[in-house]
Amino acid sequence: MSSTDIELVSRLKKKAAQIRLDICDMAFQVGACHLGGELSLTDVAVALFYHFLKHDPKNPNWEGRDRLILSKGHCAGCFYNIFADRGYFERAQAIREYDKVGGHFGMHPNKHIPGFEASTGSLGHGIPIALGFALSARYKKQSHRIFVITGDGELDEGSNWEGFMAVSKFQLGNLVVIIDKNRLQINGFTKDVMPIEPLEEKLAAFGWDVRIISDGNNMAQVVECLSSLPKSDSKILRKPIAIISNTIKGKGVCFMENQVSWHLGTLNAEQLQQCINSIETTEK
Amino acid sequence: MANKYYDPRKILGASLMKEAERNDTIVVISADTGKKSGFSDFMSRYPNRYYEVGIAEQSAVGVATGLALTGKTPVFCCAATFATARPFEMIKDDVCYNRQNVKIIGRNSGMSYAYLGHTHVALDEFALLRMIAEIVILAPQDAGEIESAFSAMLKHKGPVYMSLNDRPYPSFINEKEFVIGKGEVLREGSDVAIITTGIVAERATMIAHKLQGKGISAMVIGMPTIKPIDRDLIVRFAKLFGKLVTYEEQFSSGGLGTIVSEVCTDEYPVPVLRLGLPDVFLTSGPLMDLTAYYGFDELSAVKEIEEFMSE
Repeated sequence: MSSTDIELVSRLKKKAAQIRLDICDMAFQVGACHLGGELSLTDVAVALFYHFLKHDPKNPNWEGRDRLILSKGHCAGCFYNIFADRGYFERAQAIREYDKVGGHFGMHPNKHIPGFEASTGSLGHGIPIALGFALSARYKKQSHRIFVITGDGELDEGSNWEGFMAVSKFQLGNLVVIIDKNRLQINGFTKDVMPIEPLEEKLAAFGWDVRIISDGNNMAQVVECLSSLPKSDSKILRKPIAIISNTIKGKGVCFMENQVSWHLGTLNAEQLQQCINSIETTEK
Repeated sequence: MANKYYDPRKILGASLMKEAERNDTIVVISADTGKKSGFSDFMSRYPNRYYEVGIAEQSAVGVATGLALTGKTPVFCCAATFATARPFEMIKDDVCYNRQNVKIIGRNSGMSYAYLGHTHVALDEFALLRMIAEIVILAPQDAGEIESAFSAMLKHKGPVYMSLNDRPYPSFINEKEFVIGKGEVLREGSDVAIITTGIVAERATMIAHKLQGKGISAMVIGMPTIKPIDRDLIVRFAKLFGKLVTYEEQFSSGGLGTIVSEVCTDEYPVPVLRLGLPDVFLTSGPLMDLTAYYGFDELSAVKEIEEFMSE
């Protein structure tokens, strides 16, 4: 790894720790949040919005931006904190409006919030929507990339596989699906609820170029994987890319890690302090 | 177009070509349905604006939403039950919650596919979709109205669903610009109003004609927009007649009949006779046999309206 990359990884790691603290603080202030998935996803989300994505917080609808569709919409809190930190809106606004009558901010993201490309929440919707974005980009000869983030439990939904088939059919090299594989869903481990393995082979059989991040909570590995993506070009016909990012649900907070009970949770002051201690210790 | 019947798919296909020529944002999504929807000419003329996603209606509606989010005007047409019940959540969440400019046409609506059995009939289109906020639901009643309604659906910014039967459409309504949300009197009458929609509007006028022979003067009101419904028209004739009849090729509960009943309950309560298909799983069979079997034919309707008027 070059010195530039080492510096980048270090910067992104620090930012991920800060975002984890922000996520926990927001949960403490607003109530129930999907903490487990938000914390598993944080490193990839930070890498995207602090380095890899082309975007402009001052001009969220900039035509040249890369698009990200959060198919696992329940993890919106992670992005509320990232977007606020990047300047899309004031964090205080998100906290003030969260789950309040007339407010846009809630457990699931709304298209009216700057930074979000689509309102999502129900699982299995992101990939087909992203396919629409990617087809349009090809028609308009645009070079931006379209990312979709799904969960692994989410892949139980059949509509994802309709989408996987169709994206592959169109050979859309401008579309990347990132699967946040934290191995847990509401009723327990995915292997018990609905086994999705062999996921890599399944996606390959659907015609995807499958990349694996062994540890999606290791920023160096995340950076390495995202750096290796070929240049986005909507004109080129090639296999679409699926990244399986192996993560830990509740990552960074010792009492939440791998605990399905923290899929959705609230934090009291004492627990918040434990979160802070845990995240700060992990960062060191 | 007098005294002739016209293939709705040909009208739809020709209307699409006309609109596509002047509006390059129009794209078509197919779930293995493009050719049977009358879109062959579009496929040949605009291959780069035609996207085939296979027999995958949920994906099709999601893709349409994604395209609309980038400024396109996607048109998706397939058999009505697979355009509504199957991707219902995608219409509700992707298209409508995102307030996107997606146009969905459910062809083979109502009992078009009676011969294929209950899995293929679409008698709950209105009941399902009307529960989605902000969606517009259209049901053209004759050949000219298919074209004008299609044009209106494209002009309208936002989600629109159009219900289209597979049977040939008559031409009996004066051609004019289609105004979303407006109904009109199709036949004058002085005793009662039959409020109807879609392809059976012409049959409603025949029912009214038969009622004339029984001494009942029935007005026929066409409602080519199911949502937003023309409330003023309903209330006006509820007040005038004190009784209303609805006639639609949908279940008698949940669709136009229910909407009319709701409007009356809200604004001017009068008895409403709701004529449609009963709340059962339909047996398969030839259309006209089934129509009579379930009491949806002209003679059954005449009898029911006579009884209703004598109450």
